[in-house]
Amino acid sequence: MSTTVGRLVRTELKLMVREPMTLVFVFAFPVVTMLIIGGAFGTTPNAAFDGVNPSHWYVASYLTVVIAATGLIMVPVHLASYRERGVLRRFAAAGFPRWSFALAEAVTGLVAIAVGSAVLLAVAAPVYGLPPVHHLAQVAAGFILGSVAFVAIGVVLGTMLPSARSAQAVGLLLFFPSFLLGAGGPPPHVMGSALRAVAGYLPLTRVTDAVRGPWLGTGMATASLMIVAALAVAAALLAARRSALRAAR
Amino acid sequence: MNDDQVVSVRGLVKAYGNRRVVDGLDLDVAAGEIVGLIGANGAGKTTTVECIQGLRRPDAGRLRVFGLDPLADAGRLRGLVGSQLQSSGLPDRLRVAEAVQLFSGRDGQDLLEQFGLAERRRAPFASLSGGERQRLFLVLAVVNRPRLVILDELTQGLDPAARRGVWAAIDELRGAGTTVLLVTHELDEAEELCDRVVAMRAGRVLDSGTPAELVDRYGRSATITFTMPGGLLPEALAGLPNVDSVRVQAGKATVTGHRAAIAEVGALLVQAGPVPADLSVRVPRLEDALVDLLEAAAGAGDGEPRARRPEQELMGATR
Repeated sequence: MSTTVGRLVRTELKLMVREPMTLVFVFAFPVVTMLIIGGAFGTTPNAAFDGVNPSHWYVASYLTVVIAATGLIMVPVHLASYRERGVLRRFAAAGFPRWSFALAEAVTGLVAIAVGSAVLLAVAAPVYGLPPVHHLAQVAAGFILGSVAFVAIGVVLGTMLPSARSAQAVGLLLFFPSFLLGAGGPPPHVMGSALRAVAGYLPLTRVTDAVRGPWLGTGMATASLMIVAALAVAAALLAARRSALRAAR
Repeated sequence: MNDDQVVSVRGLVKAYGNRRVVDGLDLDVAAGEIVGLIGANGAGKTTTVECIQGLRRPDAGRLRVFGLDPLADAGRLRGLVGSQLQSSGLPDRLRVAEAVQLFSGRDGQDLLEQFGLAERRRAPFASLSGGERQRLFLVLAVVNRPRLVILDELTQGLDPAARRGVWAAIDELRGAGTTVLLVTHELDEAEELCDRVVAMRAGRVLDSGTPAELVDRYGRSATITFTMPGGLLPEALAGLPNVDSVRVQAGKATVTGHRAAIAEVGALLVQAGPVPADLSVRVPRLEDALVDLLEAAAGAGDGEPRARRPEQELMGATR
């Protein structure tokens, strides 16, 4: 690919794997925490875990931790650092096409999620075994729409926060509650009603529902999938608008 | 519009909030010229070139670059214009050769060698010195062989040796016939490099001309100092056509006047016998000529400090 867009995508992918924050949060953190939590509740099917093997319940849940780490930490920190240094100005001045950067961010974010998820499943398989997928199409839809939604949310966050450091702070502040309440923490059945109510409002909870339910056969979670789809469309439109390379007022 | 006109700006106005940073500016740059846009901080230089590059939307005025509108015809102007932006960097971990590849699609080995960066091909941007960064920006500005290059404060923060290196590179652009619009607040740089200088203050053009013309127009007189030879009378010096003043103190004469006075005084000294060993001449440079004018203007204006340009709002982050 030697169009500007192609070169930008390739460069962004290269830079992604050189970023320690990405390597830690997208590729290492989900794997390490899954290994710990996934082994904490044994493998006997349990009512708190919708009647399935807790290890399998967590393997399915942690797929969305990768999505959250990418969208709430990797993408916003990367984009905010570009804005802080005036990299986007340079791209615009060099005549990079208007949508090239938005596209490059979308591709980079989705590739990060794909690779992070593959690593997670590759580690989970020999340790806890991969639970069989009950409704593949539904799982794929939840996973893809959730990924799009979170990458887009990351782009929007990155265009709102003034520096890489503030993006890091805000990103971590959004990530950990989402992680604990919406994906990798205690199962909803053991949470108090207040926590469960809060969890219900977190976008990540909806993504996790839309992936885990049809995967483990504990429910199709169609309502969650619809919410995730709506979120993906809205966030993607906003993200494209905000990351377009264009003249300032 | 003239065929060899590269940039044409008429009545450009740009305000941030209610502060007019550019206020009815006219500017022309002809093909092959190296034009320096000079002025104190806050004079509106950077905003002007940002509008010319289509990075900012003017409030009023007509801009043409190669006869095209920088905003509406951005696509067609790509490739014709190369630029180095003030306060604009590259990703820390992007390597020199990767940056050239990203911006041009070729390896640019020839340019990296020409600008002394060949050894640093694999160095990440974060590890480059200030001079190396500026040379890399210069490579990126010219790598696509643009016909117009816009350079904003290119040598800011560089040590003298690095500055010389960058100046030599710009001189090579001149040799290649590239049109250059150079923004600077360093007048020695403008004098060294520019065919023509446009002096700005408070968002308007104050005056323009070759550095020599501006020195002639605004420069204080030349100053000649020497130990008075025995047979020479101060009255003889004062009677020379281009001499303005003569002062003799403890046997040492200080003569001021137009440049031509240098030759007239010299001729008198030769007639008067051996030329004094301590003869020295100080000719005004552009800096001497314009510094008061530009600084006074910046301060005077209406007493406002340097315009705060909403840096963060530029590109990709606007509402």
